[in-house]
Amino acid sequence: MLEIDHITFSYGNRKVLDDVTFDVAPGEIVAVTGANGAGKTTLLRVLACLLMQDSGTVRLDSVDPLARPIKYRRGIGYLSEHCPLYSEMTVEEYLTYRVRLKGERNVRVRRRVSETLEQCGLEDSHRTRVRLLSLGYRKRLGLADALVMHPKLLLLDDPLAGLDVPQRKKIACVLTAASARAAVVLAGHEIREMLEWCTRFVVLHRGRVTALYRVNDYNRADLARLLELQIASGNDGEEGR
Amino acid sequence: MTAVQVTWLREVRAFRGAVSCCVPVAAFLAVSGWTFVMLLRHHEGSVLQVQSIWGISVAPWLPILSAVLTMRLFAEERSTGMIDLLMASPIRERDLVVGKFLSAMTVIGIAVALSLLVPMVVLPALSAPVRGSVRAVAFAVTFLILFLQASAWCAAGTMVSAFFRNQAAAAVSSLVLCSGLPVAVYAVILAWVPSVRMEMAWMPLLVHVYDFSTGLFSTAVIALYATLTVFFLFGCSKVVACLRLRG
Repeated sequence: MLEIDHITFSYGNRKVLDDVTFDVAPGEIVAVTGANGAGKTTLLRVLACLLMQDSGTVRLDSVDPLARPIKYRRGIGYLSEHCPLYSEMTVEEYLTYRVRLKGERNVRVRRRVSETLEQCGLEDSHRTRVRLLSLGYRKRLGLADALVMHPKLLLLDDPLAGLDVPQRKKIACVLTAASARAAVVLAGHEIREMLEWCTRFVVLHRGRVTALYRVNDYNRADLARLLELQIASGNDGEEGR
Repeated sequence: MTAVQVTWLREVRAFRGAVSCCVPVAAFLAVSGWTFVMLLRHHEGSVLQVQSIWGISVAPWLPILSAVLTMRLFAEERSTGMIDLLMASPIRERDLVVGKFLSAMTVIGIAVALSLLVPMVVLPALSAPVRGSVRAVAFAVTFLILFLQASAWCAAGTMVSAFFRNQAAAAVSSLVLCSGLPVAVYAVILAWVPSVRMEMAWMPLLVHVYDFSTGLFSTAVIALYATLTVFFLFGCSKVVACLRLRG
């Protein structure tokens, strides 16, 4: 479904992604993890068409974002790390605006919005101004925005960061449900929580894929320790640089 | 609804009730009204017609209003990070740019139309021959040239806004581009070739307004402002597209 083939990206002379290659099948939840500065956000930004790679190709169901950007972007839902939203709008207004902007026909807009509000547990706060939402609800609204058009691929940058345990569980429930009809690629550091619902882990270190783990092939506790060790060694490397 | 319409609607709603919109529009109305009254007094008994005085009193303030209204269009999106969500959406950059530009033009159109209130209030106080010479169509044509000028300033402001994350920096740069640069070029021409002063007693931008208000219609002038508008909007969509390259 999603093929990432030898992606390389640099900020000036600094190589941030170096020959990144892996693929994602429908229904998979792939966690991209690594130390800070490993290139997780940059990889997601390349996949979301926010950055153009220096070399390599990305294909979503054979659609190349460089050749057919609108068609590719129609197939993705993206949640940014800082979860930006229009604060003066209400939850429902914001979601309606986003659905319309993504090209949904007028007759279907209301249904899409109400479905997604319910799916993300936002139906009770649909008239709340975005600026009054807590971080957890803001993330849920961002996730609702990413999910609302039923994309084939969900790209989520640090969806669990800054959330308390109940909010994390809620996000995990929504993602597990969403993975029934979409592939999910997410970046994050919350290894033990992600192990509960992710199917694969991709470890990045200084822009390179250093390990790929299929969760079912390992004992979860062992895999958690292994991943944490790898991230810690990456962090040591970062500090040592 | 198309992406242009959706963007236009969202931006118009954001303008509505925003301090960054109401205060500049109120200031524009106050200052253009004051200029109109001053010019009317100064040109009492001259051949200058009411619609020309109105046009000339509004035109110099349009670049400032445009710069202040357009400063947030892209700079705000970039500073909040909303630009990422917009660019990850299945819409073309030019739709985004046109939608935002049209929203600023809507506000400016309303502001220019509201500035007509001052001439309408003053008109009954003028002498009968002056009142009799006033034609609605002359005001409509003056409105057209003001709108055309505003569209060029607005397009320039929209483009400049895409370069910055800071709104104030965007506004100052727009002002330099739309107001400072033409005035500087005019001053340089007059300083360099003093003989031109006879033909260019007024800045060409004001001459265009005066000509249109007196019925001297020029397709070249219309083409000039339309070209400037298209050029800046095209530039803006390219600047937005280039954000993908820079990261």
